[in-house]
Amino acid sequence: MLMQSSLRAKLQEAFRVRMYFFMAVTVAVFSILVLQLVNLQLIQGEEYQTRARLNMESNVPIPAARGDIYDRNFREGEKNVVIVSNRASFNITTIPAKFKSKKKFDEVLDLLALLLNIDREEIKNEISGGNPWERIVLKEDVEFETIVKIASRPDRFPNIDWEDASVRVYNFSEMFAHVIGYVGSISPREYQRLKTEGYKHYQKIGKAGIEKRYDQLLRGRDGYVRRIVDVRQRTEGEEVGERPVAGNNIILTMDYNIQNTVYEAMKDMKGAAIVLKPYTGEIIAMVSKPDFDPNLIISKNNAAIIKRLQTDRERPFLNRTIQSKYPPASTFKLITAVSALETEKATPDKTYFCPGYFVLKGYRDHVFYDYDVHGTVDLYWAIAKSCSVYFYQLGLLAGPSVLMRYAEDFGLNQKSGIDIPGEVAGFVPSRQWKYKAFGQPWFDGDTVNMSIGQGFLHVTPMGMCNFIAALVNNGIVYSPHLVREIRTNDNARVIKSFARKKIREIPLSPLTLKAVRKGMRLSVTSGTSGRLGYLKVPVAGKTGTAQTRSVRLEKFSQHAWFVGFAPYDGPPESAIAMVVLVEYGIAGAASAVPVAERVFTKLQELGYFTPAAPALKELKKQRGAVSGAAAPSPLEPSGAGEDRREAVAPAKKAGE
Amino acid sequence: MLFSKDGLSRIDYTLVLAVIILVVIGILMIYSAGFDPIEKVNNGLYRKQILWFIFGFILMVGLTIINYQALGEFSLHIYAVLIVVLLITAIFGRPVRNTRAWLNFGVIAIQPSEFMKLGLVIILAKYLEVRERDIVRLRELVIPTILTFIPVLIILKQPDFGTAIIFIPILLTMLFVGGADITHLISIVLIASIAMVVPMILTYREWIGAEGSNFILDFFKDVNLLLLVSGVMLAITIAAFVLHYFSVKKILRKIYIPGAVVSLGLMASVLIQNLFKVYQKRRILVFLNPDLDPQGSGYNIIQSKIAIGSGGLFGKGFLKGSQSQLGFLPEKTSDFIFSVVAEEWGFLGGIVMIGLLGFLVFKCIQTAFEAKDKFGALLASGITTIFFFHVLVNIGMVIGIMPVTGLPLCFVSYGGSNLLMSMICVGIILNIRARKFVY
Repeated sequence: MLMQSSLRAKLQEAFRVRMYFFMAVTVAVFSILVLQLVNLQLIQGEEYQTRARLNMESNVPIPAARGDIYDRNFREGEKNVVIVSNRASFNITTIPAKFKSKKKFDEVLDLLALLLNIDREEIKNEISGGNPWERIVLKEDVEFETIVKIASRPDRFPNIDWEDASVRVYNFSEMFAHVIGYVGSISPREYQRLKTEGYKHYQKIGKAGIEKRYDQLLRGRDGYVRRIVDVRQRTEGEEVGERPVAGNNIILTMDYNIQNTVYEAMKDMKGAAIVLKPYTGEIIAMVSKPDFDPNLIISKNNAAIIKRLQTDRERPFLNRTIQSKYPPASTFKLITAVSALETEKATPDKTYFCPGYFVLKGYRDHVFYDYDVHGTVDLYWAIAKSCSVYFYQLGLLAGPSVLMRYAEDFGLNQKSGIDIPGEVAGFVPSRQWKYKAFGQPWFDGDTVNMSIGQGFLHVTPMGMCNFIAALVNNGIVYSPHLVREIRTNDNARVIKSFARKKIREIPLSPLTLKAVRKGMRLSVTSGTSGRLGYLKVPVAGKTGTAQTRSVRLEKFSQHAWFVGFAPYDGPPESAIAMVVLVEYGIAGAASAVPVAERVFTKLQELGYFTPAAPALKELKKQRGAVSGAAAPSPLEPSGAGEDRREAVAPAKKAGE
Repeated sequence: MLFSKDGLSRIDYTLVLAVIILVVIGILMIYSAGFDPIEKVNNGLYRKQILWFIFGFILMVGLTIINYQALGEFSLHIYAVLIVVLLITAIFGRPVRNTRAWLNFGVIAIQPSEFMKLGLVIILAKYLEVRERDIVRLRELVIPTILTFIPVLIILKQPDFGTAIIFIPILLTMLFVGGADITHLISIVLIASIAMVVPMILTYREWIGAEGSNFILDFFKDVNLLLLVSGVMLAITIAAFVLHYFSVKKILRKIYIPGAVVSLGLMASVLIQNLFKVYQKRRILVFLNPDLDPQGSGYNIIQSKIAIGSGGLFGKGFLKGSQSQLGFLPEKTSDFIFSVVAEEWGFLGGIVMIGLLGFLVFKCIQTAFEAKDKFGALLASGITTIFFFHVLVNIGMVIGIMPVTGLPLCFVSYGGSNLLMSMICVGIILNIRARKFVY
């Protein structure tokens, strides 16, 4: 019994020891739990608070209003012509992951496709790549009635949402298409390039023209609503995180009235026209035809229209004023004249006899034809009648190097630096180039061709316009630009003004300028641009008919040029330069001159040629009260059609 | 002796109070977790939990009144009935998420495996009391092991991995305090470790593919090879044991004990490899390295840690925990209830909760020390292990230091069966405490 109880005590003691050990383990474990709690909540607390916030916050952007665009007649505080503005609209959106099944989603999408006229496959493609919880836009720019239809049938359209969206409105549709450009959804490549500058993947971005060049200023800054969402993206509450900052407005140098006139005058044509104020470099009008309606292509659901425009043989997206090159044709004769006069190889009084053709002596004689027999002509009459024989010889007299140098000096082989993207430079050949390209030296035949603007020379209408600007402005060329100033969204404050910027100064003697201007004036009063002679404003000009061989269309075609300025004898401050190019103009120069006629008339009506450099404020008052700057000369409205044949001859060029 | 009149007078009311506070906190948290801040509705689970609590409280009081020693006398009957019910559940139970763990009685459902934990503790306590003097012998461990593995295997068949695995530490702890030989226990733990580690390595290899291939891992790729190795080792072990039996060379003991450990461990590992489902094995791997599965079960732990960590010192306030209210926290009414406490009431709330649970465990250990007889002491220590391992596994899981095993937090998590079982356990503890001076 004693043994029993001592064993009992021993066993009891062993139990107690082990229970103590067990207790020690529990104390250790509870301590570890508390320590980990300290670690998570007190030491790492802030980090986990951030992560918890990231979990529940889903920021929904509030799009910033994009800046409006006005023309040069903008007056602060008045009702102005708005060229580009915005319109409130709706987007239809959804979150694919909210649907119970893929089948259900497809059903709803089928119904929506009928209602909204959208491409189901396109939507499905868009979804397949991305995060199913991300909100996607099914259709942009939907009318309120459609929203009502969808909202009234949640059974048919579950999980379909809509959001406010503003849509860019191009109020004059095609008229400013190439200058203003258009906006579009940011492409993945653009996003990769620009995401560090604050661009977001859902944003619109300027794709061309002013919209692209000034995108940073126009776009403003999106705000966002901080939305608290649960794990299934349901919204629990929201507050404005940051208010959007509206984009800046742009005041163009362009005049809606002039642009309209140019556009109407060129309605059924293909080609380009530029109206420029040489004294400042301001572009008053810029038209390229054929065109497109930017309103139709800004929505993401219009990929088909964009594709069609891109593959159109007429290339409506091409801004022909700065992106197309043409032979300058007879308009280049002015540069030939400048070259000969400046290098003192000839005086304006120098005469040549024009029998209607010119024989270039050489290993084998070659005959270059003129379109007419002009008899003995001096420089003035040669310009006025566009006598090719005269310029063949003047070009040979000046020599190819001089011709090339002046073509380059006038910037015909350079970009003008205009403030819209995509500009190309013209091309002026050189001896080295010819040798490289053809393995041949420069022949006299090439000089003959070049002196009348045919051959290898290719210029953009913008390049030619800057040449006219130099003639008007005594050799000084200011950077051509389309934007006059940037204002805040409420137009109250000017953020940035674009002053004129000299890009080039060509030393030209007054004699040369006077002689060439006089020849151009004679062309209007009694030469190839005769139709302009009766205008109230004294116009000086030169026509040209370029012949090109279009590889694509596989035929020879003719382009009609008109370059000119007005007033002929006025101060440079009030002068306007103009270039009109009509592609495939059936009647040659006759196609381009009537455009110039209408535009000069309109310019004069609006008082552009009023000597006291019309302050824009008084412009409206002065309308109608046209000053007497115009001194109409006797008309000789012949020669418009003759220019056509002129260019055919040199096309049969030989030279070698 | 079945009933005692003065039982209630010796009730430890601090323990009762602690339990009531825990359950009330639990109900508040179930209310919070069941609230949908968007639809402004509650899923109503908290009402059910209140009913379970009332029912559990009655059972607790009832178990305080009867003499706990009667439980020892009927331990085999209780065990047998529970095993039968468990079998019925595993075969005919209504599958919830592919697990036949619940027996349905119309509006209420019972999870018999919860009560099995207590049933096992009672029968082990009785067995260890009876075999008190012989338990140092290895062969005495066979019956407790069998008694444990019958419910474990049934529950694994349901399958309910988390509930099954909790029986093993309960068994080991009870054997430990019951006086089993330390060498035997260490050997068993080693065998179990080998049995777990080998399938983990195999699973890891399979999961991450060829990258994980190397000389050592390649050795484990063939299950038959493992069986061969373990068979050879077992043969050596038996030979050593037989030689030891006929000779007196002590050195042989150093061969056959590790030999037995390794060979049995490898055999058990093959068994586990074939018995457990791939997702169950992966779950442990994800615990060891949550990066393996950030979207799956790793996601749960990450979200739970965010919930707890973002609670900070004072918490976000009742019904204001973003992680739980907005549904980022999974299983928030049951397994991850502690995360809701720590998120909405912060470190202070968490400390109070751990403190209350610690107080409960301490009271249970105290009861084991003070019990008037060995059965009472063993019963109290067994109940301690139930509570202790639930706290360790559940809170350890939600704070990211234990694997995701899906065990509830006693008294706090939503779930009637666990609450009832826990209240019964408290009733038994109160009973043992009340009778410590009654002979």
